[in-house]
Amino acid sequence: MKTQRDSFWDKIYELAQKDRDIIVISADMGAPALDKFRTNLPSQFINTGIAEQNAILVASGLAKEGKKVFVYAIASFLTLNCIEKIRVQSGMMNIPINIVGVGAGFSYPDSGPTHHLSEDIAIMRAIPNITTISVSDEFVAEKIAIDYKNFNNTYYIRLERQPDGVVFNSSDEVDLDKGIHLLSKGKKTLVLSNGNLLFKCRDIIKENKLDLGLCDLYRYPVNLESFKEVVSNYEKIICVEESFLPGGIGSAVLEALSDLELSIPCKRIGADTKNGYCYSYGGREEIHKFYGFDTKALTKILSEA
Amino acid sequence: MDIKQLEEKCLFLRKKVLEMCLKAETGHVTSSFSSIEILASLYYQGHIKNDPTDEKMKDRDRLILSKAQASPLIYTIMADLGYYDMAELDKFAQKDGIFGVHLQDTVPGIETTAGALGHGLGVASGVALNAKMNRELYFTYCLLGDGELYEGSIWESMMFASHNNLNNLVGIIDRNFLCTTEFTENLIELEPLDEKIKAFGWNCHIIDGHNLEELDKAFKRLRNRPSRKPTMLICETVKGKGLESMSYQPLCHGVPPKGDAIEIAKKEIGL
Repeated sequence: MKTQRDSFWDKIYELAQKDRDIIVISADMGAPALDKFRTNLPSQFINTGIAEQNAILVASGLAKEGKKVFVYAIASFLTLNCIEKIRVQSGMMNIPINIVGVGAGFSYPDSGPTHHLSEDIAIMRAIPNITTISVSDEFVAEKIAIDYKNFNNTYYIRLERQPDGVVFNSSDEVDLDKGIHLLSKGKKTLVLSNGNLLFKCRDIIKENKLDLGLCDLYRYPVNLESFKEVVSNYEKIICVEESFLPGGIGSAVLEALSDLELSIPCKRIGADTKNGYCYSYGGREEIHKFYGFDTKALTKILSEA
Repeated sequence: MDIKQLEEKCLFLRKKVLEMCLKAETGHVTSSFSSIEILASLYYQGHIKNDPTDEKMKDRDRLILSKAQASPLIYTIMADLGYYDMAELDKFAQKDGIFGVHLQDTVPGIETTAGALGHGLGVASGVALNAKMNRELYFTYCLLGDGELYEGSIWESMMFASHNNLNNLVGIIDRNFLCTTEFTENLIELEPLDEKIKAFGWNCHIIDGHNLEELDKAFKRLRNRPSRKPTMLICETVKGKGLESMSYQPLCHGVPPKGDAIEIAKKEIGL
């Protein structure tokens, strides 16, 4: 299984060899696929050093002049450290840049809460002219690289650090505009999740033979039409996410239900701000335990759904 | 345009800026006044190549106005150059107007939206880098306020521009020594500013920001790219230049004169 990062950059590298306007700006962040960039396409690779704000500003200047820019860093720094720069230089002027961040949710589990990313979906989806794709597998990552030419606003590409599984069989199956994909149909209850927790839910559903629908919701803002098509058939929804609850995936789902005037009860499972930041170590499961959705707890929740 | 004509143009700009801000009862008069000779030199002494009939002309020189509070000034210049009707100035920050107190990229002739400080130099670096990548000859100018030098991102961009040898980028600091509440050297010392900038790998010159001959000479010289490194011009100015009644004192930022001060100000610039 390829990492999302390598899947994404391999494709961009392939495209960049034929298109000198593709520029990668890294804030001192590497990847095996980027080594090829550095070596073979040095004029298209810029390293700003650990200066994410400047990386966004330079990206905006280049993109304003027509370059196709991909800015790359650890996701928490690239978003939260740069939010005003993103808001003005990309959101307000609608200058499309591609913000590629690694480290969705608790992808850096033992690095502590500075590297955990639990607020970005809430913040980024509050800014006009930005689409967030929270990537669950290598094929979504590749599809973004294939489709980026059609983007007419900024895309925030939120990558997991390690691969946890695959949702799709190939990038051809991915529809970024819809941004929602049903993995299993189930009966009355639909579980909506994304990234690492999506695969955890899938394992729990499979191992416990639960009759639950499971869906990857990976595009924000949510495409209401596609969302309606999927959720209308269910009597209950459970959202499972690593983000803090305010503004996160569950919030986006509640907003979508409200906008569509759909009365489907929705339960949110995620990081409760009441618990604060997590300093538990020993892997992602330990952090999930801290917030109350480790495998055991989540199994109970889903079994009772 | 000779110096005499240019001085008259600067007076015209001062009158227009004061007029529009008085009418709107808002706008940064003093911040605009300190930048007048700088922008007048760029636009009327031929240092910025542009064309009001072809706003997005590929080889136009770019001005990134990081110091967005000088928007009444740049909006006046753009109207005077013919990017839009002068009548638009009467609608500054008002209903049906096309612009407000800070900068908007949708206004003809304006390159970027601005108002949040500390952004311009990084964007300008990207714009200048694009010219290098494409082997295009346009110049990128970035006008900064000295108050925004407290923003850390400015210094990130400073390192970047120097490292990438952006000698097609000219930074201009409107060094009026005043922020909103305090003189810069009382607030947090910026001096020795030129040494700090040089330490970041830039060429740096201190000039009189109200002396049109000095400005002309400095801009002309830079056009020849006399160094591989970018250049910063520290233009020493007076915040509110031309309005003694509003100069040399804090708390004259972002507000036009009010009450009795209106007539005093008008009289000072012959309005």
